[in-house]
Amino acid sequence: MIHGDTRRFRQAAALLPPALRGPLERLDQSAQARAEELRLRAGRPPSLVLPEGERGIPGCSGPIRPQDLGMVLEVATQASAHTALSQVREGFFTLRGGHRMGICGTGVVKEGAVCNLRHISSLSLRIAHEAPGAAVPVLDRLWVGRRLANTLILSPPGWGKTTLLRDLIRLLSDGSARPALRVGVADERGELAGMWNGVPQFDIGRQTDVMDGCPKNVGLLMLLRGMNPQVLSADEITAPEDIEALELASNCGVALVCTAHAAGLEDLRRRPLYRRLLDRGIFGRVVTIRLEEGVRRYTVTPLEEGPC
Amino acid sequence: MLRLAGALMVAGGMSTLGFLAAGGLGRRVRTLRALAGALELMERELSFRLPPMPELLEGLAKRAPPPADRLFARCRAGLADLGERSLGELWREGLAEFPLKGDERLLLEGLGEVLGRYDGEGQRSALREARSALEGMLEEAQAERVRLGRVYQVTGTAAGAALAILLL
Repeated sequence: MIHGDTRRFRQAAALLPPALRGPLERLDQSAQARAEELRLRAGRPPSLVLPEGERGIPGCSGPIRPQDLGMVLEVATQASAHTALSQVREGFFTLRGGHRMGICGTGVVKEGAVCNLRHISSLSLRIAHEAPGAAVPVLDRLWVGRRLANTLILSPPGWGKTTLLRDLIRLLSDGSARPALRVGVADERGELAGMWNGVPQFDIGRQTDVMDGCPKNVGLLMLLRGMNPQVLSADEITAPEDIEALELASNCGVALVCTAHAAGLEDLRRRPLYRRLLDRGIFGRVVTIRLEEGVRRYTVTPLEEGPC
Repeated sequence: MLRLAGALMVAGGMSTLGFLAAGGLGRRVRTLRALAGALELMERELSFRLPPMPELLEGLAKRAPPPADRLFARCRAGLADLGERSLGELWREGLAEFPLKGDERLLLEGLGEVLGRYDGEGQRSALREARSALEGMLEEAQAERVRLGRVYQVTGTAAGAALAILLL
């Protein structure tokens, strides 16, 4: 079971204006440790997302005003909307500490792409969790003899893929019961390592190099060319270019550890983009995350790997 | 003797007032020039590096010409209070210490409501417009300094002398 910790919760709460921060800091320790997201919607009271569902926040029963959302954005980004808005077309941006802020509003479209949002209507602050040891139950099953199998982690959004991947990177990089490996991380959205001024905010291991803020396919190839990795890792494979970069890396003998949004293997097979990935036999292991009464369970499925 | 000393003090006082008024015109020119230069630096930083606001303000606090550097240093220090005060308010408070006229102050205060709230292009465009308007105001201030600076000095000295003569 993955639990958050109150330190991470408080770190995320510190990104908010005092009027919101106070009631959050007064929440009981159990709620703070289990909190996954804070939801702010204009005209509605703020709420907290826990594993069992969304609930109100004691001492915060008044509705959120649009100007409150503007203030939250200003505080969370340290008055640097321009750095956050460069990521806004993804629908969210990453904050100090690796926390993630989702944003909804009226899109301003320029040349066919959303370049800005006005009239912000809701925000979601997803608290980044570290779960040291989360990957221990699956780690041994990812090896084929002395070789790490290319591994794909699957789950629907919000079920802990990134948390599991982060811990897996840490274990591989620190060499838990196996020799330590050099891991290259293409952290496009800054969620895996939570880089801040060049320093990872999460423990991602001693032998990990991070390329953040650039498209995954570009980051993967730069790491491959420049950092001589033994393992390459990327979160949320979503584009054909990412798959091409993974194929190339796999052909160079580098092990891959990635994640994708999917309920399971069958769900993955239904999508043309991922079907290609599976047909080419790039991945040898699939880790599926299930939630059973708020507890995360992992299933490791071996796949037939193609010739590299 | 006492009357002479009083007359000299009045003459000196009036003359100082004239020089102070002329000095105020000079200070305004220097302030506007420094602010226009700082806005240009800011625009350039946002064009090439797009740094987050704390880094941008910190850099400008070191590199902007005085007295504009104080505005950025003050705003940078005030970022710790975000949530209680917006960057726009911090910017307005920082401007309060500068000898600006009403329209100059309004222009710069308006810019404070844009900084940190829009995308890079939006902020650059606001900076460009503000700088261009500020440069126009700087030209006017320079012309005013040339035109009125000497007038204030001469008027102050002459008025002081006239009062001194009357007192004697």
